[in-house]
Amino acid sequence: MSGVPPMGASAADQGGWLLVACLMLPVLAMLVAFATGGRWAEQVAQGFAPVGLALAAAVVVVVARAEAPLVYVVGAWQPPLGIALRADGFAAAMLFTTALVMCAVVLFTRHSLRTPAGATEARTPFTFWVLLPALWAALNAVFLGGDLFSLYVALELLTFAAAPLVALDGGRPALAAALRYLLFALLGSILYLLGAALLYGGYGTLDISLLATQVRTDLATSVAGALMLAGLAAKTGLFPLHLWLPPAYAAAPPYVAAMLAGLVGKASFFLVARLWFNALPGLFPRAAADLLGALGVAAIVVGGVVALRQRTLKRLIAYSSVGQIGYLFLLFPLATMQAPWFAMAWTGGLLQAISHAFAKSALFLGAGLIIETLGHGRLDRLRGFGRQLPVCAFAIGLSGLSLMGVPPSGGFAAKWMILRAAVASGQWWWAVAVLAGGLLAGAYILRILRPGMTFAPDGTADGTADGAMPRAGVARSREHIVLALALASFVIGLVPLGSFGFLQIGLPAVTVGAPR
Amino acid sequence: MSLSGLLLVLTVLAPAAMLLACLSHPARTRMIGLLWLAPLPGLLAALLVPEGTTVVWDLPQARLVLSLDRPGALLLGVSALLWSAAGAYAAGYIGPQRNRGSFAVRWLLTLLGNMGVYIAADLLGFYLYFAIVSLAAYGLVVFDNTGGARRAAAIYLALAILGEAFLVFGFVLAAQGITTDSLLIRDAAAALPASAWRDPAMIMLLAGFGLKAGLVPLHVWLPVAHPAAPMPASAVLSGALVKAGVIGLIRFLPADAALADWGAALAAIGLVTAFYAVAMGIVQDNPKTVLAYSTASQMGAVATVIGAGLRIATPDWAELAAFYAAHHALAKGAMFLAVGLVAACGAGWRRPVLLLTGLVALGLAGLPLSGGALAKLAVKAPLGSGAVATLTSLSAAGTALLMLHFTHLLWRAGPTARTAGPPPLLWVPWLVLATGAVAVPWALFGGIVGLVTDAVQPEALIAASLPILLGAALWAAQARARARLPHIPEGDLVVLGEAMARRAGTWAAAIERVEAHARRWPIAGLSLLTLVAALCVTLLAPR
Repeated sequence: MSGVPPMGASAADQGGWLLVACLMLPVLAMLVAFATGGRWAEQVAQGFAPVGLALAAAVVVVVARAEAPLVYVVGAWQPPLGIALRADGFAAAMLFTTALVMCAVVLFTRHSLRTPAGATEARTPFTFWVLLPALWAALNAVFLGGDLFSLYVALELLTFAAAPLVALDGGRPALAAALRYLLFALLGSILYLLGAALLYGGYGTLDISLLATQVRTDLATSVAGALMLAGLAAKTGLFPLHLWLPPAYAAAPPYVAAMLAGLVGKASFFLVARLWFNALPGLFPRAAADLLGALGVAAIVVGGVVALRQRTLKRLIAYSSVGQIGYLFLLFPLATMQAPWFAMAWTGGLLQAISHAFAKSALFLGAGLIIETLGHGRLDRLRGFGRQLPVCAFAIGLSGLSLMGVPPSGGFAAKWMILRAAVASGQWWWAVAVLAGGLLAGAYILRILRPGMTFAPDGTADGTADGAMPRAGVARSREHIVLALALASFVIGLVPLGSFGFLQIGLPAVTVGAPR
Repeated sequence: MSLSGLLLVLTVLAPAAMLLACLSHPARTRMIGLLWLAPLPGLLAALLVPEGTTVVWDLPQARLVLSLDRPGALLLGVSALLWSAAGAYAAGYIGPQRNRGSFAVRWLLTLLGNMGVYIAADLLGFYLYFAIVSLAAYGLVVFDNTGGARRAAAIYLALAILGEAFLVFGFVLAAQGITTDSLLIRDAAAALPASAWRDPAMIMLLAGFGLKAGLVPLHVWLPVAHPAAPMPASAVLSGALVKAGVIGLIRFLPADAALADWGAALAAIGLVTAFYAVAMGIVQDNPKTVLAYSTASQMGAVATVIGAGLRIATPDWAELAAFYAAHHALAKGAMFLAVGLVAACGAGWRRPVLLLTGLVALGLAGLPLSGGALAKLAVKAPLGSGAVATLTSLSAAGTALLMLHFTHLLWRAGPTARTAGPPPLLWVPWLVLATGAVAVPWALFGGIVGLVTDAVQPEALIAASLPILLGAALWAAQARARARLPHIPEGDLVVLGEAMARRAGTWAAAIERVEAHARRWPIAGLSLLTLVAALCVTLLAPR
């Protein structure tokens, strides 16, 4: 008895190697980059990006065509002895999102982060270009892992790849933020590992498909579930476990913050969903779901309000992330399994994750351009950046509209479905929270955009903090990358997803085709 | 697709195409001269497209439907005319300015949303156009970039986004009642009376559309935003954009016995608005603010008609309410343009302009033989014959009072030093709208309401002139007591709102302090352990 579904054999023949490639190629790229060092590291990492994108696209296509999860059993040793890699609809979508955001970051930093002429190697570019494939590999491992221990390894990889990236700029605040992130993330990992150990003791296996068939509600499983959930919530930065988030996102360089906010945060949320729906289905009662939902509401309110009171650009966007994480955790009280509104809640939650990934990374990259152009990120001295960076300002506006949930963006499609699920399930209070979050998002986006659109009475723009003229402009192509990400978050609401069946591929006991 | 369908699609496609053209800088600077063209497909559609024409666009995630019914056609045609005339006026008014390209972009975006609102037939498409028009109008309000304009635009935006939150919640609640997969407004409205979510949905829909139309107490943005915008923008804001709220009320409220109470509530709110806005408007000294309050008052009257029609279940109440709103759009547009025109007039032109403007203004109050009198005659049937009808006639007296006050303020502005006439780009659109305010109701009365001869019966003429005379008497009385009237700031209750917003600042500071505490290591660690314990408790508690 294995966890491989009947279609698994042919699917593995056709595309199982894709999953292996998704894991091994970025690791290989990282090793080669590390070994060759200097300028070669840049070339290797940049050369890998289109390959990674093609692999992710291929996985999406294979899963969509087969309408079943893509499974690969490593070494042909079936679980529970061996481990399986599994790509269902959600995982494939997250793979593709990761690839797109990573490619955007690569294009964004391609020319600005290079080893300076005359030196063989410099710390910052080297660290970045080596750790970027490592981060990519870790993210892929999280999305594809088929058993809880591989997922633990992937989580650790993720933490250890992300923490040095936070400290990339050097300096005390960055180091302090990176250490804080590392410590709290490790705390979360320890809780997760404890839980996994308890589960292994209770069931003798950690494979997700096998666990799903055997889960019982006894003491060990319950404690394990609680530990793992809390650990993952700490890694995601759910309020009030978010102490590492604002300093880390603010101290990291904007292109790193884009990856952290857009992707790394989604990875641990992905695991919470895996745990809740795939590995331990039916274990968590209504009360636990409501607890997570309540914390989500607190995150939405606190994140939005505190974002409004920030004085620097990156901290504002960081607190916006705190708020948006709250939306994600509303998935759990809404997505009651076997309920008619399950499909809507599930799709809404996932669309929210994906469109937010694009919108937030666009925001951070755009903020990076503003800071490069004006030399500072203070919100009270941003007047007129719209004239120097028109495309960037437009992209920030689009991302803001997606975060607010204004049609026709992906954020609106997600919000619509979440609201419908909330009303259909009779839990209208979550709907109020979502709407309040949208209002707060509008307020803090306006804080960024309003100064950009206005000019001093004499028609000049505000410049650097000391009033001097702003530094030389940034390449227009980098603005277009920001615009492309913002447009992605818009388009995600319209992309044909096979009437949303794609995102539900691989879910146990799903009811496809619920009314919109 | 048939020709009618094509016209319907062009109604939104034409402004969209012109917007895309604005991506190029030279096109953008010249676009201001072409703004009058953009609404013309909409005008043609309103005139030529037969009722019930539907265009369906099946997207993977949604089914967007455009359709034209009679109230929609009425409001679409009149709004298109207003937008076109105001667009020509804008070419003369904004044309010389340096940032005319930016104005053209904001104008076209708002126009796109406005045109779409009248013809969208499915929930998501309607919400899309509604969001476009509400958000783009911010750009128009803030255009002058003075301190006052920025404050007005901030108030406008805050309330617009609040209104949209109400609406999306209302749409979700309304969609919940639909048993099929459809998301058509028609189906949502039909399912509403029997739905379990009827009452919350009605509250949300009334709040959202009432805010857009300017019903008390959510009207506070109107008298602040409309005067702050440049002249042609004020004309379309007051004339056309508030009609988005009206069309929403018309589309979403079916005539059904189960909604009779809600109809009564709407009529009550409408009457309160009608009188309250007059009271607030009479103490204002800026003619544009007076016009804005008049818009709120007239929208109150329209809401009363809709509510009363809903309660008595008059047939065609939707069309009659739209007829009334259509006359208001043309008249208000003409009056706003007149404010700018009078400022550009030399002594010789002032008197005829003031005279015609005064006639149009009093027409809003129901001056006999004007378009307004026809509009008031048209809504007699839905209003019935009880207290509601009497109160509405009294509110006409209030409108007359307000309009006399407005004309007086215009006259008091004094002649300019100019001797030459105003440029044709300014007076031709105004004349078109002023004559339209009289001609269009006369032309459409027969098809929509009844016999035109009814309007010229002696009883009708006398009934129409009574409120005017009452209003004139009131105006003479207040002119003497002017100095003793209290000074109420623009937006009346909005100052309360701003005070509450400042109070909210202290709450926000408190939340910030709590959050800072939560980020301390001991607290965060404790939170983590508490979360584990809480989850254990929920998991281990007996189920």
